[in-house]
Order: sequence, then structure tokens, then C-alpha cells
Amino acid sequence: MNDVPPSRDPPEDFDEYYRRVSRLDPSRPSESVRRTVLNHAAQLAAERTARRSAAGRTAAGRRRWRPAIFGALAAAALAGLLVTPHFLAPRAPASRPAASPAVPASSPETPAPAPPPRNAAARSLVQTARPLDPGTALRRAAETGDVGALQALLQGQIDLDARDASGRTALMLAIVHGQARAVDALLAHGADPNAADSRGTTPLRAAMAARRPDIVAALQRAEAR
Amino acid sequence: MTDSADSDEALIGRYARGDAAAFERLYRRHEMRIWRYLERHVGNRATADELMQEVWIAVARDAERYAPTARFTTWLFTIAHNRMIDAMRAKREHLSLEKEQLISDPASGPLAAAVARDQRAALSQAIEQLPSEQRDAFLLQIEGDLSVEQIAAITRSSFETTKSRLRYARTKLRELLREYA
Repeated sequence: MNDVPPSRDPPEDFDEYYRRVSRLDPSRPSESVRRTVLNHAAQLAAERTARRSAAGRTAAGRRRWRPAIFGALAAAALAGLLVTPHFLAPRAPASRPAASPAVPASSPETPAPAPPPRNAAARSLVQTARPLDPGTALRRAAETGDVGALQALLQGQIDLDARDASGRTALMLAIVHGQARAVDALLAHGADPNAADSRGTTPLRAAMAARRPDIVAALQRAEAR
Repeated sequence: MTDSADSDEALIGRYARGDAAAFERLYRRHEMRIWRYLERHVGNRATADELMQEVWIAVARDAERYAPTARFTTWLFTIAHNRMIDAMRAKREHLSLEKEQLISDPASGPLAAAVARDQRAALSQAIEQLPSEQRDAFLLQIEGDLSVEQIAAITRSSFETTKSRLRYARTKLRELLREYA
């Protein structure tokens, strides 16, 4: 690109022209696109609603059963208080052998089976989810601001400055997506504050472009240039 | 960003909680802006339709992850920009020679369209003649109503470069369309 900028023209008149012509433009996305998108969105919304109401029912069910459980426990305790004195009274030793425990203790050689996932969706996730490689998982956690996952990944042996196809590190993605807490966590663990992407954009410049003075300050504290 | 119940940010939040009607309102509100951004970039209706579908399906899928720290339109146009860049990369090798000649041949530019008195075609052709980065910056600003800073962040460019691209784009478009604008 030429380094000398062209003469400055007032953009408003051309923008107005652009908008006027655009308003007359009959070109539109096809109806099938609109239908597909809206149907897909409605389906996702229905799934989300179902998920939420299932979660709500489970919580409500717990709340409904709670008094009944406490009531049953109280009744059992009362019955225990009334009946126990009969057994505590001195009596002749029994001649028959002691009964075996109702629940046999599990053998130490037999490992307990792993508990199955609690529902079908969880089972499906267990069966289908493929683990991400650590670098990708780190970048994903950084860009979504999942500080819990980030901290867990940072405990292990991991390349903090692993890059994606565009040369972006986890730190850069956290900056671009405005995830200040992820930025702090990455810098605290020694992420390179000057690791530029493949276009030469530095973390500091990205934070300035995103107008995030808090992230700019965090980077400057980490001696970003 | 507004806090009203009808704001983009409120609508995407409602959709994330399962309100399909909120998504439809968002879609209809921004449909044409995203469409023009994509269609004027790729210059091909079928490809723009494909990208349009991908962009909005991504919006629906990721609605729960949208964090209202940025304007909804910034998030939306970031998705559109990324999809468009991926598509352009994938199709660059398949761009036909005929199309390249059309873009680079001044005789088939907006002046030819002027003869046909077709402002729309002239505008499309003029935009098509812009270098990709200038076209992107211009369309993000005029269709996305985004600031220079926001465009710089989306396109991963510096503020000055973005400002310069916008200036070049408008100068070139005015020059190409001087018989109309």
C-alpha cells in the first residue's frame, strides 16, 4: 500500500449515495436460506428450553421430595426410640449363630465399577467427545474466558505460546475476545506478552485496537512492547 | 449498547434462553446488512447464500457464548468477516481467469455500466475493483456501522492502516462512480 494517504474527501456524500443505491437493490438472500436458518435456530431454541425445563423439573423434584424424606427419617427415629429399649433389656444369650450382614463387604481385589454417566446426553458426550490437543484446549479456554479450565491446563506441562493457523497464541485470543481474567492468568503463568500473530499484530496493539485499557495495563505490567 | 428489551444484546440473550422469536427479530433486523456485506465481497449470489447460512447458524449455535462486553453487531460482523475470509481463501485457487480479467479490465468497469444506466451494477463493480482489504474495511463500516477501532480489531490491523484503507476505498469508489455519485 502507498504510504502517502490520498487527499481527504468528505465521506458522507458517497456513503449517502451507497445507501440510496442499496435501498433500491432488489438483491436478497434466497428464501431457502432464511427458512433453513430460522428452522435451525428454532430447533436449537426448543432443545435449550427442553434442557432448562428438565433441569428445573429435577430441582423441583428434589424440593418436593425433601419434606417427605425428612418426615420418613423423623418417623424412623421416633420408632427407634420406642422400640430400642425392648432390645436393650437383659435377656438370655441366643443359641443360634449371628446372622450374616445384610450387605456383604466388597472384596478388596474387586474394583468398584465406574459409575455410569447420569443420563443419556452425558453418555453420548462420553462416547462421542474427542479430546482436544492441549494447545487447542488452552486457546479455546482462553478465548471463551473459561478460567477454571485454563488454570487446570496451566498446571500441566503445556506450551503456553502454542499458535493456531493464524499464528495467534492463547494470550492473543484472550485479548481479542476481551477475556481480561484469562489474560491475567496466562501472563501470571509466563505467557509471552510480545508474541505477535502471523500478520505482525502484537498483543499490546490488539488490546489497544480492542480499546481495553485494563488489558493494555496488564500487558504493560508484563513488559509488553 | 442499549439496555432496552428490544436491543440486539437483549434479543440474543433471550434467544440463548430458548426464545426463537427473538432470534427471528435479530435475523430480520440484520439480514440485509450481512447479506450485502457478503454478496458485495464475494460478488456471487450462490456463495453469498452459502456464507449467509453459515454465519447465522454460527450465531444460533454460539448464542449462549455471546458475552455482552461488545456490541452484538461487532460480534456478528466478526463472524461474517471470518467466514468470508475462510471462503475467499478456499476459493482463491478456483477463481476463473475470466473473472480476474473482468476485475482488472477498466473497459468493463463502472463506465460500461454507466452506459447501461445501471447504478446498482456500477456500484457492485466498483466495490469489486477495490483491493480486498479496502473492500472489507469499507463494507464493515458502511454495513456494520462499525468504528475504525472495531474494524481494526476484527481485521487484525492497526488503527492507522484501517483508517488509510477506508480513505483509499472511498476515494477510489468516488473516482469510479463519479458520473453517479
